[in-house]
Amino acid sequence: MQAIEAFLRGRIWMKQFIPFPKELVQEAIDRGDVIVINGISADGECGRCQETSPDYVISYTCATCGKICRYCRTCIKMGRISSCTELVLWTAPAIQNAGPRAFGWNGSLTPQQETASKAIADSIQKGADHLLYAVCGAGKTEILFSPIHEALQKGLRICVAAPRTDVILELSPRFKQAFPDATVHTLYGDSPEQTGYGEIILATTHQLYRFQEAFDLLFVDEADAFPYSLDPSLERAVKKAAKPSAPVIYISATPSKTLQKQIAGHSTIFRRYHGAPLPVPVYRAMWNYERHLRKGKLPSPLKDWIEDKLRKKQPFLLFFPSIQLIELASPLLHKVDCAIAPVHSKDPQRKEKVMHLREGALAGLATSTILERGITIPHLQVAVIGADHRVFDRAALIQIAGRVGRSAIDPSGDIVFFHNGITRQMDAARQEILFYNQEGKV
Amino acid sequence: MNCCLCEQTLRFVPSWRGIFLYEPPEVVCQLCRNEFSKITGPCCKFCGKEGETICRDCHYWEQHGYPDLIRSGKSLYHYNDAMKDWFHQYKFLKDVLLAQVFAKDLREVLKNERGVVVPIPLNEEKLRERSFSQVDQLLLAANIPYRHLLEKCGETLGEKTRQERMATKQLFRLNGEAVPKQLVLVDDLYTTGTTMRQAAKTLQQAGAESIRILTLIRA
Repeated sequence: MQAIEAFLRGRIWMKQFIPFPKELVQEAIDRGDVIVINGISADGECGRCQETSPDYVISYTCATCGKICRYCRTCIKMGRISSCTELVLWTAPAIQNAGPRAFGWNGSLTPQQETASKAIADSIQKGADHLLYAVCGAGKTEILFSPIHEALQKGLRICVAAPRTDVILELSPRFKQAFPDATVHTLYGDSPEQTGYGEIILATTHQLYRFQEAFDLLFVDEADAFPYSLDPSLERAVKKAAKPSAPVIYISATPSKTLQKQIAGHSTIFRRYHGAPLPVPVYRAMWNYERHLRKGKLPSPLKDWIEDKLRKKQPFLLFFPSIQLIELASPLLHKVDCAIAPVHSKDPQRKEKVMHLREGALAGLATSTILERGITIPHLQVAVIGADHRVFDRAALIQIAGRVGRSAIDPSGDIVFFHNGITRQMDAARQEILFYNQEGKV
Repeated sequence: MNCCLCEQTLRFVPSWRGIFLYEPPEVVCQLCRNEFSKITGPCCKFCGKEGETICRDCHYWEQHGYPDLIRSGKSLYHYNDAMKDWFHQYKFLKDVLLAQVFAKDLREVLKNERGVVVPIPLNEEKLRERSFSQVDQLLLAANIPYRHLLEKCGETLGEKTRQERMATKQLFRLNGEAVPKQLVLVDDLYTTGTTMRQAAKTLQQAGAESIRILTLIRA
């Protein structure tokens, strides 16, 4: 495969930004391997992200072509696409490059993981979509390895997409280790350029805009919010990036009811890999906590809880509903113990602070919902301050509770919902965790 | 409609003004709006930089070959992080819609303007590459009539160091239109003042008597 084909195959790319000499691109166009389409179609659809809403496809007088053009705001961060932008698609048929591939993973699966892994492989075989519904800490990534290895042997092109860069970065080394002789590309916001034909592509959901009918097999990790009610363009991106016949495997700890209904093939794992039940949230009333914090007083139930954890030398996370509340509480927390630090999405030292918590240099973190996923610290204790707030919906609360007791050495821990009145979402989260534990009993 | 900077849903806030007078719909949310910092209080009478009555840069210009060109000047906003983000998305990601964000501010300042509003131009090549002129677009969004009098010669300042910028010889030439006596030069970002001083010099030599300047941002 030529380098230019390796780059362009499956991608939809702005012609002016193809990292190859112009003549080479023109040759491919002349040969008919590549087609060129308008950035925005005549009826106002973005060729890359398929946005059609007139709130996002904006018309203006274009000085480049001298006409009224439209440009797309939805995917503007990837380089603006307008009506007079040319997009390039490689359409020549592919040569399958099936062949034996090494498998660098030699861990073992629990019987439940094994069953799920087989079920996924079966779905892929049949070309059917599948939902892997597994609780936090069930060992989801390991379940995927064997089906992916099987698909690789057949020369299928595989994509694993997740909504957040953190997740993609965490998956990358594990995949490279598990598939040592496959070309693994890791794509996110400003990922470095990677050459060659990516057989396994790990990408944030946004990066899927840049692919079209590329994948024979697609995994969507953290598909909780799927179908993405807030950003329907991401759902379109998944559909567009997969070949029409390609099976899509959704992975989630808290799938929506719609997704559960939409997909026929399910595997469920309601038990963690170490076999212990999930810690069940405890409610504790903390009336008018916001007013207390504004007055510069740390509510006593919370203070007692923190002091207890400090005494036992257990690391803890305090989840707050907003950055403003974190800022209010952080000087008060500092007074209790100077090893409690605030962290939020705009904090450049986010990674370092989590590391310090893991190493014991910090006793606890006051955080917004950003740390609700993907963080594993042994002996972690968790409190949600204002669990009744609307940012804490069922899925978020289950994810937060899922931070506790993840390691086999200490599978228990506190998960306390401090509240100013119990909400349905809190009850739904607690019910669901109880349900998992019930179902997960062997 | 969502905020065009943070994508939060915009909440419609009814007001008496909104009922009796037409007000264009807001495009950014209040939180994003608050991130921008207006220049208030005493500032340089030439460029609008907050602080002394004549800032260091303007003092230098007045001493070194560009005296008595500019009658007065004003700048609306500080170049803080929020403004840098806005500027980047507007000018370099070419998000034309963002011109709307400051439409109201510009209209407020320029609606009773009696001099001719003259935008600083881009050179032809840049214009074709960018697909819009960022200054014209700001004025268009604010619904302020303007007239081009200048053309940009070859060079652009963007990639130059401070010394190189201040030593640049000629940036503009006249485009052939009649030059009025009273005018206001408008630009997006004021950095060292080279652009404005050069433009003013060219226009003064062509017969302009009172030149004032207005910039959206003072870096």
